[in-house]
Amino acid sequence: MTTLSEPKLRFCTGNQMIAEGAVRAGCRFFAGYPITPASGIYKSMIDLLQRRGDVAISAPDEISALAYCVGASMRGFKSMTATSGPGWALMIETIQYALMTETPVVIAFVQRLGPSTGGATQGAQGDILLSEFCTSGGYTIPILCPSTPAECFDLTHKAFAWAEMLRTPVIVLSDKEVGMTSECVDFARLSNQAPPTRKHKSDFASSKMYDFAERVEVPEYLSVGGMGKVTATGSAHNKSGELKKNDTETLEVLHHLEEKIRSRRSELAVTTFDGQAGAETLVVSFGITARTMRETVRNVRRLGKKVSALSIQSLFPVPDEKIKEAMVGISRIVIAEENFSGQYRSVLAPLLYGKEVVGVNKIGSMITPAEIEEQIV
Amino acid sequence: MPFCKGCGHSHVLRKMNEALVQLQLPASDVCLVTDIGCIGLADALFDSVHTVHTTHGRSSAFATGIQIADALLGTGTLKTIVLIGDGGAMIGLQHLVNAALMNANITVLLCNNFLFGMTGGQNSAFSPFAFVTPTTPRGNIVPPIDMCRVLTDCGAEYVARSLATDKELGTIIASAISHPGFALVEIVELCTEHAMEKNSLTGKSLARIVESHDQHFGMLTGSATRSEFSERYVDKYPPRSQETSDNGKYLTPLFKSGLTNQVGIVIAGSAGERVQSTAKKLCEGAMNSGLWCTQKNDNPVTQGSGFSISEVIISPNEIFYTGIEVPDVVIAVSEDGLRELAEKQTLSHLLPSSTVILDSGLKLPPTNAQIFTYPFRKEYGADKAAGRAVEFYLQMSSLFSPDSFHL
Ligand code: SF4
Ligand SMILES: [Mg+2]
Repeated sequence: MTTLSEPKLRFCTGNQMIAEGAVRAGCRFFAGYPITPASGIYKSMIDLLQRRGDVAISAPDEISALAYCVGASMRGFKSMTATSGPGWALMIETIQYALMTETPVVIAFVQRLGPSTGGATQGAQGDILLSEFCTSGGYTIPILCPSTPAECFDLTHKAFAWAEMLRTPVIVLSDKEVGMTSECVDFARLSNQAPPTRKHKSDFASSKMYDFAERVEVPEYLSVGGMGKVTATGSAHNKSGELKKNDTETLEVLHHLEEKIRSRRSELAVTTFDGQAGAETLVVSFGITARTMRETVRNVRRLGKKVSALSIQSLFPVPDEKIKEAMVGISRIVIAEENFSGQYRSVLAPLLYGKEVVGVNKIGSMITPAEIEEQIV
Repeated sequence: MPFCKGCGHSHVLRKMNEALVQLQLPASDVCLVTDIGCIGLADALFDSVHTVHTTHGRSSAFATGIQIADALLGTGTLKTIVLIGDGGAMIGLQHLVNAALMNANITVLLCNNFLFGMTGGQNSAFSPFAFVTPTTPRGNIVPPIDMCRVLTDCGAEYVARSLATDKELGTIIASAISHPGFALVEIVELCTEHAMEKNSLTGKSLARIVESHDQHFGMLTGSATRSEFSERYVDKYPPRSQETSDNGKYLTPLFKSGLTNQVGIVIAGSAGERVQSTAKKLCEGAMNSGLWCTQKNDNPVTQGSGFSISEVIISPNEIFYTGIEVPDVVIAVSEDGLRELAEKQTLSHLLPSSTVILDSGLKLPPTNAQIFTYPFRKEYGADKAAGRAVEFYLQMSSLFSPDSFHL
């Protein structure tokens, strides 16, 4: 038996719910720089953190914003910043540094129309590739992609959990329509998980900054200011954190940075599968367009057509097993995303071999239910 | 040390070590944040303090984050020292400026050898006039930046310039570290590998060259009248052991609605005339009646002028797609709003079943929709027109009880 608790409703934007999720996850440090459509997160974090005496400050640019956050995280505190495409361009240097030094940090990236300053108040899902493939060497950056304010809350919480668990930067990839649309949110139905905690190293006998035996292991933390000495560098380094060139241990560390994430891709997969027996078409989408997909599915099933749908919340690492499961019995796959070339479709392509693959793509405004429906035969 | 013979960096690091010994700080309370360049090799020489080797120019930004987090969330005992070269200081100028403006409690040791040593001796923003480098083969034609002056102008209260060979350097560094707030020591030194050959530069002539650019040695400022950033922050936002209870911030539906279909409503008016806040009230009324709702706002980039439009969807079911392709209802109460709707072609797509609530002062282009006019602006004033028009619509529709709509 389930007890339905009394609804606790609030009228909130996705941006506000990212901030709520961050605070619930134990984020105590935020540094921001204004940019449409992400400024709402900045403002909400200022409101939520300052009244608790936690830190929410203004940075003079996006480079500083992320660098402040990474510094705070190295000192031992969960931190987040928020931006959009043009600000992200400036953060790419520092996110790589966070990845290399195994420093957890969460970046809420609210997409708008690009390229360059593009359209500040127009939504888009055009930064899928830019956000993921921004590292020299091509390392996996975990990306969670919410489609509703409630998902903004849950997935931001999860982003912190992943960042702490994996010791790596994690992106919450939202967009203008999710971020700036106000909606009815039932707080009684939000997940009430405990904040993730950081596993600190207690044995300082080993001087290793990154203590791991197998590549896939995530080392315990040392914090700046703590009893164990921190040796951090953005340059290639051995397990002790010492700058090295191409020795076996250093190459091992470089592999470890990727393997600790890739090896966990099944456990990190977050998807919602709405399968229908006998369906030959599978629609795949994420973010704001996953909602259009749900609307389309509701409409076409009313007309008696059969269709399955897969919403992907964890874009990276690619939830390949979930996608393969959803493809069983399917001959046609429709992938809907608000960019002109089918960015995520290009990422999924190797998994879809032998299927008929159709993209529903558009820029400038949200994909409509009719535009997806046209592709469901 | 990993530096060339005679390199100024060796002097600086010896003096910095002296300062740390002199201050008797526990190693775990010291964080050395290094920048890129030869000086960034310093980390490896310090085996007990925390070392954080960062990206080019960003060292002071990382240091600021570390320091503020320690002061406000941690123990408040950490001393954060930045080692940066002249190249790093210029590419990271913004971070130094902001740290000085904030009066962040970090100590910056700027090792100025006039050039980029690690990459082959290229000229930097600190190169003197006529300085010859591989990239200024006929001599530098741009004057050097006076970083001490820049940062003094930004409010830095501990600023000193010294030679790497100065006997007092250890003491100067120690007092910079002890200074409660942003402190910078620019240390002028020689890159023996790249600076000397083409410039007939010696340790002795260094000071003269710097002074010839009207840049001076010694303590340039040394007061402590401004409180540092974290002190000011904690003053405004003291730590709370418990979060203020958020009871009462939630809404619980008190009414019921018989609405069976999703309704898309577009409210159009002018900036500053409460269009978007009225739309929010409409949504809260819907929530109060157990309905789902979404609201999107639109206005010109300059938010205080021109049109102001809100798109509201109200539905008995969860709303998936949040766009309105053809509105069921258009409420237009100003010229600006109506013009924008016409431009977006919202009006030309209206269906015979669509409803338009229009201020009677406005002229609507031809449409199939049913039109209701009333002099909202004249009767209630511009800032209440949108609210009254929504009320008008609620009275005539069965959306939800007008009792749950409170302006
Ligand atoms: S290249 Fe110049 S700055 Fe670098 S170690 Fe040699 S002398 Fe020092
Ligand atoms: Mg230099």
